[in-house]
Amino acid sequence: MSKEVVNPLTRISGFLEIIVEIENGIIVEARNSGVLFRGFEIMLNGRPPLDAIYFTQRICGICSTAHSMAATLALEEALNVIPLSQGRALRDLVHACEFLQNHLRHFYQYTVPDFVDLPKDQCLFNSANEDLRLPKEINDRITENYFRSIDFSRAAHEMLALLAGKAPHDHGIFVGGITVRPTIDKIIKFTSLLKQIRNFVDGCMIPDATAIGQFYSDYFGIGKGYGNLLTYGAFDDITELPDLYVKPAVSIGERKESFEKNQITEYLNYSWYQGPSPQEPSLGTTDPDINKESGYSWTKAPRYGTVPCEVGPLARMILSGEYQNGISVMDRTIARVLEVRKIIIIMETILNFIKPDLAPQGRYEVPQNAEGAGLVDTTRGALGHWLKIDGQVISHYQVVTPSAWNLSPRDGLGQRGVVEEALVGTPVQNPDNPVEIGRIVRSFDPCVSCSTHVYTPRGEKKFKVV
Amino acid sequence: MTEHQIKSCAGCPGKGGLVKKLVTVASRQVTNGKKVNLVWLEATGCSGNIISFLNALDPDVGELLKNRINLCFNNSLMTLDGERAMEQLFATAEEGNFILAVEGAVATEAGGLYNVLGRYRGEKITALKAVQYLGERASHVIAVGTCASYGGPSAARPNPSRSLSVVEVLKNREVIRLPGCPCHPDWFIGTLAHILIYGTPALDDQRRPLLFYGVTIHDNCTRRSFFDQGIFATKLGEETCMFLLGCRGPITKTDCPTRKWNGYLNWPVGANTPCIGCAHPTFPDGTEPFVDYERGR
Repeated sequence: MSKEVVNPLTRISGFLEIIVEIENGIIVEARNSGVLFRGFEIMLNGRPPLDAIYFTQRICGICSTAHSMAATLALEEALNVIPLSQGRALRDLVHACEFLQNHLRHFYQYTVPDFVDLPKDQCLFNSANEDLRLPKEINDRITENYFRSIDFSRAAHEMLALLAGKAPHDHGIFVGGITVRPTIDKIIKFTSLLKQIRNFVDGCMIPDATAIGQFYSDYFGIGKGYGNLLTYGAFDDITELPDLYVKPAVSIGERKESFEKNQITEYLNYSWYQGPSPQEPSLGTTDPDINKESGYSWTKAPRYGTVPCEVGPLARMILSGEYQNGISVMDRTIARVLEVRKIIIIMETILNFIKPDLAPQGRYEVPQNAEGAGLVDTTRGALGHWLKIDGQVISHYQVVTPSAWNLSPRDGLGQRGVVEEALVGTPVQNPDNPVEIGRIVRSFDPCVSCSTHVYTPRGEKKFKVV
Repeated sequence: MTEHQIKSCAGCPGKGGLVKKLVTVASRQVTNGKKVNLVWLEATGCSGNIISFLNALDPDVGELLKNRINLCFNNSLMTLDGERAMEQLFATAEEGNFILAVEGAVATEAGGLYNVLGRYRGEKITALKAVQYLGERASHVIAVGTCASYGGPSAARPNPSRSLSVVEVLKNREVIRLPGCPCHPDWFIGTLAHILIYGTPALDDQRRPLLFYGVTIHDNCTRRSFFDQGIFATKLGEETCMFLLGCRGPITKTDCPTRKWNGYLNWPVGANTPCIGCAHPTFPDGTEPFVDYERGR
């Protein structure tokens, strides 16, 4: 038996350690650890409630707009503000820009280096990967697109900035909708940039992902995990455009159920926190204790009831009926790339719906006491913010991120997290250099503001550091 | 180019003309030898500055990677992982001739264990240890973003991770501060190019390049005439002066109004919202509330 420790698992946002145990060429145990703790939930106590929209974006540099969305939704519930469809539509457009930026960068900058031989005259691309299979012509094409893609992910952020000020960390998404009027000059520039991205996605990104899928087709059989899927719904709250993408839904053991918000709980048993477990986010606590004996991650363990669920593009694509092929490493990658096209179509529909010049905003009174929850599917999956206001300041804030769903440690029932489960059972071709680990974990597009390590058990087992 | 000439360009809008010129000159000098070695550490933060760097335009990151820099270590972008990635980091450090960029603050709670960057020969390498070790060996250190420069959101009250700025951790050497949440890609690339061609740029008493941080946002604000005439917005979304909604432009020094963000298209005040002082030394605790309907009452 051998143990593999991967730390850092690079090409994700944040820090992750993965530890796996390999026996007879099969991964038989796995642990993922998030190893960064800043304590945003603690910092938010006592702050002005409206500041949460800009403050919580600093949780994440690659998906900050997601947090502005969830914080805004939570505040609108607390302040009893119901935005007009125009406001919802405009901020959905901004949020969609972030999907494009994220998916482009995740595919080309984070995923491609696992499958493509990039030029070694740049030390960034030094590699130990011996399982690179693409014919030279295809390898050269995808390498060129690695660099070309930077133009289009930047363009997605330019679109975001047009309607929301800047990126990362936007200013435009706010209670009531958005702060920027969609004037014709902005609309035509936005539309032009979107068309350029669409051409790149159709002409390059989808063919590149397809080629990788063909030459690494065994990855359609690796990394399934539990197979339970969850979405809080995406692009589903514009009344006049009811069927843009996906409603809140959950699928457990391939049986689809209606989604119940009160089923969301978090276990703390294997996380570096003290406190009751399980706990509802509206009553959740964040009390760090790095010396906790059973702890091995800064990530808590969200569960739907008691069920670990996968979240993200593949979950959305399957639950909306857009994708049927299966659940695996390569299905996640292909579904993410196909979702880019889906998002572009959604954006084109919204662009046709919005009226020019109108950006509804008001003056919002913060009540003495209130509470709210903001649940929304974002790039990496289901994101929730829960807040309470007491004496016109924040008295409670809990954030449950998509990567907590996917990269949780074990729960109080001893069940592994989603990525841990996806690793277990995987055959490893070369135990001295198991490329499978990184490919499986990256297929979930982890965004952990913490480090995760790959562990395998000690004893007679051989240690391998990847 | 003299310092005076550089300053005279500081207010130029447009497509990063100065930065492009600096890098073009740099390329002539730098490509005579080999590309400059750059280590970009992500420490206790959100990793948003490397994302902002990917938004660079003329030159873009692809051009920099092909012709100007060897990016020897960066968690978000490097192909290697695990022990091999850490080997490349420490080999670069031992070789010596490299520039260190750090984004994020530095967690010191529990001996630094609130932020582990990787394992090297079995040992957990904390952000604290990595910044100290690399900081001693780098030819130049650049603190990229407000967390690295001043602690920023990572050190916000009550600072659960006991985060310090990179400047506080590396007290005994010069660290250039490039605050901003995130740092504008031009501020980083312009500073890097200046170091390569002319040496360290002229800095203010906070060790920020005067070129980018010389005057307040209020000094050059596109809405300044509204302020001067006393025409103030009463809610977000209005296209006048944001002062009475809590705008921190009067105390925050950057060139945002003239440079703008993301392909030079927009910026927070252009989005009809207040500047929240994200580049200010006291951000975020000292620049709250970000939105203040009561300021005008």
